[in-house]
This record gives sequence, C-alpha cells and structure tokens, in this order.
Amino acid sequence: MSAALLEVEGLAISFGALRAVSDLSFTAARGGITSVIGPNGAGKSTLFNLVSGALRPQQGRVRFAGADVTGWSTHKLLRAGLSRSFQITNLFFDLSVFENLRLASQVLEPMGRALLPVARSTAARDRAEELLGQFGLAEKATELAGHLSHGEQRRLEIAVSLACRPKMLLLDEPTQGMSHGDTQSTAAMIKGLAGDLTILLIEHDIDVVMNLSDHVVVMHQGAKLAEGTPAEVRGNAEVQKAYFGENPGGETPGGEAH
Amino acid sequence: MNELIETLQFVYAPQVVNGLAIGVAVILMALGLTIIFGLLDVINMAHGEFYALGAYLGITLVAKGVSFWVCLALVPVVMAGIGYATERMLIQRVFHTKDRHILTLLLTFGLAIIAEDVFKLAYGPNPYKPDSPIPGASELLGVILPNYRLFLIAAGTAIIVAVWIVVYRTSLGAMVRAAAFDRHMASSLGVPVERVYAGTFAFGVALAGLSGVLLAPIYSVFPTMGKDFILMAFSVVIVGGMGSIKGAVIAGLVLTQIQSISSLYISPVWSDPLVFGIMVLFLMVRPQGLAGRLGHG
Amino acid sequence: MAEAAILRNAVEATERIARGGRNLLAGIFVAIALAFAVFAGMTGDTFFFRLATEALIFAGLALSVDLLLGYTGLLSLGQALFFGFGAYVSGLVLKNVAPSFWAAIGITLAATLLVGTIAGIISIRARGVYFALITFGLAQVAFKVVFNTREIGGSDGIIGIPQIRAEFGLFSVDTQSPAGFFLLTLAFMMLLYAGCAYLVQTPAGRLLVAIRTNESRVPFLGYSPWRAKLFAFVAAAVVAALSGSLYPMLRGLVSPELLAFQISGNAVIMVVIGGVGTLAGAFYGSAILTMLKSVIGTFTEYHLIVIGALFMLSVIFFPKGLAGYALPRLERWVARRRGRA
Repeated sequence: MSAALLEVEGLAISFGALRAVSDLSFTAARGGITSVIGPNGAGKSTLFNLVSGALRPQQGRVRFAGADVTGWSTHKLLRAGLSRSFQITNLFFDLSVFENLRLASQVLEPMGRALLPVARSTAARDRAEELLGQFGLAEKATELAGHLSHGEQRRLEIAVSLACRPKMLLLDEPTQGMSHGDTQSTAAMIKGLAGDLTILLIEHDIDVVMNLSDHVVVMHQGAKLAEGTPAEVRGNAEVQKAYFGENPGGETPGGEAH
Repeated sequence: MNELIETLQFVYAPQVVNGLAIGVAVILMALGLTIIFGLLDVINMAHGEFYALGAYLGITLVAKGVSFWVCLALVPVVMAGIGYATERMLIQRVFHTKDRHILTLLLTFGLAIIAEDVFKLAYGPNPYKPDSPIPGASELLGVILPNYRLFLIAAGTAIIVAVWIVVYRTSLGAMVRAAAFDRHMASSLGVPVERVYAGTFAFGVALAGLSGVLLAPIYSVFPTMGKDFILMAFSVVIVGGMGSIKGAVIAGLVLTQIQSISSLYISPVWSDPLVFGIMVLFLMVRPQGLAGRLGHG
Repeated sequence: MAEAAILRNAVEATERIARGGRNLLAGIFVAIALAFAVFAGMTGDTFFFRLATEALIFAGLALSVDLLLGYTGLLSLGQALFFGFGAYVSGLVLKNVAPSFWAAIGITLAATLLVGTIAGIISIRARGVYFALITFGLAQVAFKVVFNTREIGGSDGIIGIPQIRAEFGLFSVDTQSPAGFFLLTLAFMMLLYAGCAYLVQTPAGRLLVAIRTNESRVPFLGYSPWRAKLFAFVAAAVVAALSGSLYPMLRGLVSPELLAFQISGNAVIMVVIGGVGTLAGAFYGSAILTMLKSVIGTFTEYHLIVIGALFMLSVIFFPKGLAGYALPRLERWVARRRGRA
C-alpha cells in the first residue's frame, strides 16, 4: 500500500470547446492536507466533481485506497470512504439539524436495519449526537437546517460530510462567506481533523491554505501549474506571476513564516 | 409500376394530406404549450380546454351571424385576454413558491376540470358540427381533397411561420427569449418581466383558441374535445423538446404522419398507443427531446 | 453525559409528539368511519355503505399518490394505471381462476411487483414535471390498450365477477354484505395506511424524504437516489393495486375507466385537499370529495365546477390541506397532555 491515499493520473474533461481539466496528475498523502488553489475558473470545482464521481472523466484515472475508482458512482465512492462537502451549502433545509446528521450517519448502519423503525438505528443516532457535540450544534438539534445562521450551516455542511466516518474528505471552500474569527476557528478545526482523515481542500483564503497544507497543487486554466510544499509553491516564479501576481493583496506578512 | 403509383396516389396521398391537416393543427396547439413551458416553466394542463373554448366561442359567434373569417381574427384576441387574466390571477399567485412546477400544474388542472363542466352546462354534452366555411373539394394530381383541409394546411403553415418570425425575428420575441434565458438579467435590462410572462401565456392561449376555431369544422365541437387532443399535443411537445419551437414543428409533422400512415396497417385505435409509446420512449432515452429549449438555442 | 441525555430526550420527544399527532389523526378517521357504520347499519342503508366503501378504496389510491408526492416529491398523474391493473387482475382471478379473496390479493401483489418495477424503471429516469408527464403518458397508453383489447372485455370491461366470502380462519366476510365489506375494507385500508406510516419512519423511508428535500445531496450520503425512488415507486404501485383489487369485490365489475386520467386526477385532488405528506390526509380527502359529490349531485350534475374551484382555492390558500392544518394542532394537544402526565 502506497503512502498516497488518492492518486490522480492524467485526468481530463472538456465541456464543448472548454478544456475544464487537462492532463492533471497529483497525489494526496494519507493523513495529510493537500490543497488545490488557483484563480476562479481554474478547474478546481470540476476536479472535485471528477474525483467525487459527480462527473465522469474523459481521460485519466483516479485511484483511491489502492483501487481504481475511475467512473465509480458517487454513492459507491462514499461507501468506499470518500466524502465531500460543498462550496454552496447543500443541506436538507426542510429537515431538522439532527435529522440531517442522522440521515448522513445512516450509512454506518447494517443493511438489515433499513426497514426497521428508525429508533433501532442506534449507530446512526449515536454518530449524529456525537457530531452535534463536536460541532457545537447540540442546542440547535431540533431546529430546521434552513433556520440556522450562515456560519452554523457551514459547520453543519462539514459535519454532514464527516458523518459516514470517511477515509478522505474533499472540502470545497469550507470558510466561504465566513467572518475572520469563524475562518480562524474553522481552520483550526480542519487541522484537528487531519491525521486519521486525509483532506483535499479547495480554499480561497491563501493564509488558511499556507498554514494548513502539507502539499499544495496550483491549477491554472485546467492544468497543473506547480505543486509542492507551501513554501516551494510560494517561491515558484510561474505561480507568482499567474496567481499571486494577480492578487498581491492576498499575501500578508504573517504568511511568510516558514 | 402503375400499381405502385396508384397506391401512392390513392392510398398514401390522401392519408398524407389528412395527416398534414391534423399535423398543422397539432403544431399550433403544441406551439402554445411549448412557448408557455419554455418561458414560464408551466405545464398548462388546461391547454386543451382553452382549445375547446376557442371552438365554442367560434360556433357561438357564427350562430350569432358573425362571419367565420371574422371569428378567425376575433377569437384569438378574446382568448388572449382570457389567457392574460388567467396568468395574472392564478399562475402569478404561486409562481414564486418553491413548488411552482407542481402548483401551477395543479392549478391549470383544476381549471381544466371546471371548464369541462362549464361547457357541458352551457352547450350540453352533444357534439356540434359546424358547416365547412369552404365547402367542396378540389382535385389535386388526380386525388380529391376537401377544400377546407387544403386551406387549413395553408393557413396553419402561415401562422406557424408568423409565430417563428415573432419569436426569433422581432424585438418582442427577443425580450421573451431574454426573459426565458435569465429572468433577473432580463429584468435588470429593463424587460418588464411580469408583463412578458402574462403576455406569453396569453399568446399561447390565443394559439390554442385559434386552433379550436380552425379545427371545429373538421372534428366537431364537444366538451371533452380538448382532452382527446391534448395528449397528442403533449406528445409533440415532449418529443420535440419542451420549449423548442423547431422541435415542436418537426415532431408535430412526424408524429401525425406516423399516426396517419400507421392507420393504413393497424387498426386506428392502436395508432394512439403507438404515438404515446414513442413519447414515452423519448422521455426515457432523450428527456430533453429533439431540440433544446427556448432561450437556450 | 447529562447534556447528551437531555439532547436525546429533546429529539425523541419531538418525534414522539409527531407520531402521536399522526396516530390521533388516523384514529379520528377510524372513529368517524365506525360511527358512520353504526348509523348506516341501524338505518339498514345499502347505498351509502357501498358509496363509503368505494370512498375507502379510492382513498387507498390517494394514499399511494401521497407516498410518492408527499414523501418522495414525485407527482404521479397516472397512478390509476396501478389501481386499474389491480382491479383487472383481481377481477380476472375471481372470475377465471378461483373465487378466493386471498388468491385475488396474492396474485395482484405478485403481478404488481413485476409491472410496478418495469413501469418504475421507465418512469423514474424522468425528473420533476417530466415524471408527471411520463406517468400520465404511461397510464394513457395502458388505458387505450385495455380499452381496445377485446380479450379482457374492451370498452365494456369485465362484468359478472362473482361475489365471494373472504375467509379469515375464525370468521368470514361476505362481499355482498354492505356492513361486512365496509368493515373489511376499512381494516384493509388501515393496514395499508399502517404499512405506509411504518415505512416512512424507517431509514429507507426517511431517505425518501431526503430525496424530496434535496435529491442532489443524497448520493453523497452513500445512497443511489435511483434505487430509492424505484423502491418508492414500486411500494406506491403495490398500495394502489391492492386498493384496486377490492373494487371488483365491491361492484362485481371492472371497466377501462378505472385506468382513466380522471381517476388519477381525482386521487391527486384528494391528496391536495386532504393534506400532502400526511398519509391520513388521503382518507379525509377521499371522504370530503365523495361527500361533496353526493351532496352537490342532489342539486346539479355539474359537480366538477364546485370540486375544481374548491381544489384551486385549496392549492392557492390552503396548500397544506386539511390534515396539514390539523396536525400541528393535534401535536400541540398531544404535547400538552404529555406535559401534564
């Protein structure tokens, strides 16, 4: 078994004339945080859709936990241990916070309980309760997910994607629309998740990326521009030009620390 | 060889022409449905009843001494008013809710139920058969064809072309297509979206009413006439692609020809299931239909 | 640990109250039905017994529509396809195979599992309004086919289906007895209701609600929405067909009109007036519609105008339907009683 949990090899997809992702290869090490950065339209979200089974690649392979999972359906991938969160909060807004988490934890139950009363699904219930505590949502358990604040919904979004106890989590802009304080605590939380969990992260906040990541992949116009440790990527002249050059304001003095 | 020509001339040709007459009428119905769906995302379950209402208005006016030709212009205008009012009073009420697809479908379904009994109440359950406005028949390439059917094909084609021009070649049509493509963008560009919606619904309803007037002399007028016809129109809209004018025209011609010619080989009672079967098949393998939707190319 | 216990209590209390409200709503319906049976039994009436039995049978069809619409978010405009299918299979079995209640029910069930799966595979490829249209189209095809197939009676349907005695070991019910068959139908329908109410409170049933609420997230919970929807579709087909299987026992005949759009449409009206997503609402909706028809029917034959108007008003002003408004009140009552106890 290799050190990499996820291996992407020569991945490509086009929509008409647009080459959304072309010949992309990288690996994500077990237990680490790998970030994908790049300007808007670089193909980051398409990459997530390809890896999570929402889109089928036209070329290339995806290997997960030693198995070739290219073209697997989303639900099969999830059961293999690959979960994802969404940039635009994608919850069951008409259902309670508890029910959101219970539904997401249902996959932990043996198949035989699918047609027994839901009260018998104790594993799912326990997991949902655990996550409510872990994400500070216990007081909101019986409220509708749609009635939560934006920050709470973002937390629930991550909690839902963690419910199945995945091996790997794809996090799509977890700090989207958050205040500075919330962003810091979310970053700390993500850091705490790594280790047992392998994380692939898309994030706009460059400080968060630089502080959290073990490995950074820089995408530009669908292709890989560079990859390496945060320091290596930051020092890369091409990246400077294509990415940091466009957004010098994104760089802060604190981010220079090695 | 001669036999083949004779078969073509005397067996197929009348069937093709009959199919064309039905096809043109079905396309007029389907255009209304597909334009309403393309812009408002509304499945108008009462479309068949608007068609019947057009026919009833036509025979009522003719009975009062109004000429058929005046009716042909007058009824669509009246129907447009009814359509405009329906959109503002009913569709708009539920248009901004999350379940608007289902709610508008249910509302127009309710309207259809009411309309059918209103027709029975006002006109009785028996069919009316108006006199043909153009009696007689002409010989075309040795085949005898009723004059009115020939007129229907010509007039229908002209209307279809006119609709095409309105939607694709005028600024009015551009507004409608803009509103269909992106409601908010269109609104910020100064398109009066609410009125465009109501106007489009009115336009679709007027087309249904017009087909009612045109078809009354061929098929008679009776309370459930819309129900029998709407299935065919829905099939055409689905096969053509919901919201596509081009698709509706192609599918309308093809499906009515299939129906018409297949009835030479199988009992006519089986040609309806055949057409619905094609519709179901299309929904299965190509739910977007032959062509894309209005505003989306 | 104490906090976790409080949390669990809060969640469980909410679910208990919701369950209590639903049970109460169904219980009230049964009480009304039994009160009607006593009253009609005392007056020796036959006509209203038969009418009420028919209302119950159509309520079963509405129940299946609600299972799809209220729980899975799929509007079926052709549910009469399965209702009529059940009625025909049951009628054919009773007439040609064996005049046995259990044979009719059993064969209908088996045949519907097959036909429901095939129709489901065809239908659930389509989403949203396309699903509504494909079910509409399928039912129309079936209607025309049955209407034109002379082997099963064509437009006349099948008449002369024998009356039977339904054997239940300790006792038996004659389908000819108005009171007996009414009570049998009531029990049968309550079993179907209980089955549906049970189903929607299982993990599989909760998944259907998840699909209605946000289908796009469901694959990321580890489930195929396609399979879940097929499951719901077949379950609803079975409920509709089993309801239909009682029809020939009541009327002694079946006709192609049982598959017609009017029947499907009526079932949707019942669900909307009764309350979408409540299951018990289907029964109230059917009762209301049947009563309206017979009351208005004594004044005019054009009852559809009133029913259509009521339906539209219900869609615009009372989209939750009767049960949708009654349930929160019943739940508050249940909560208060529990609070006192």
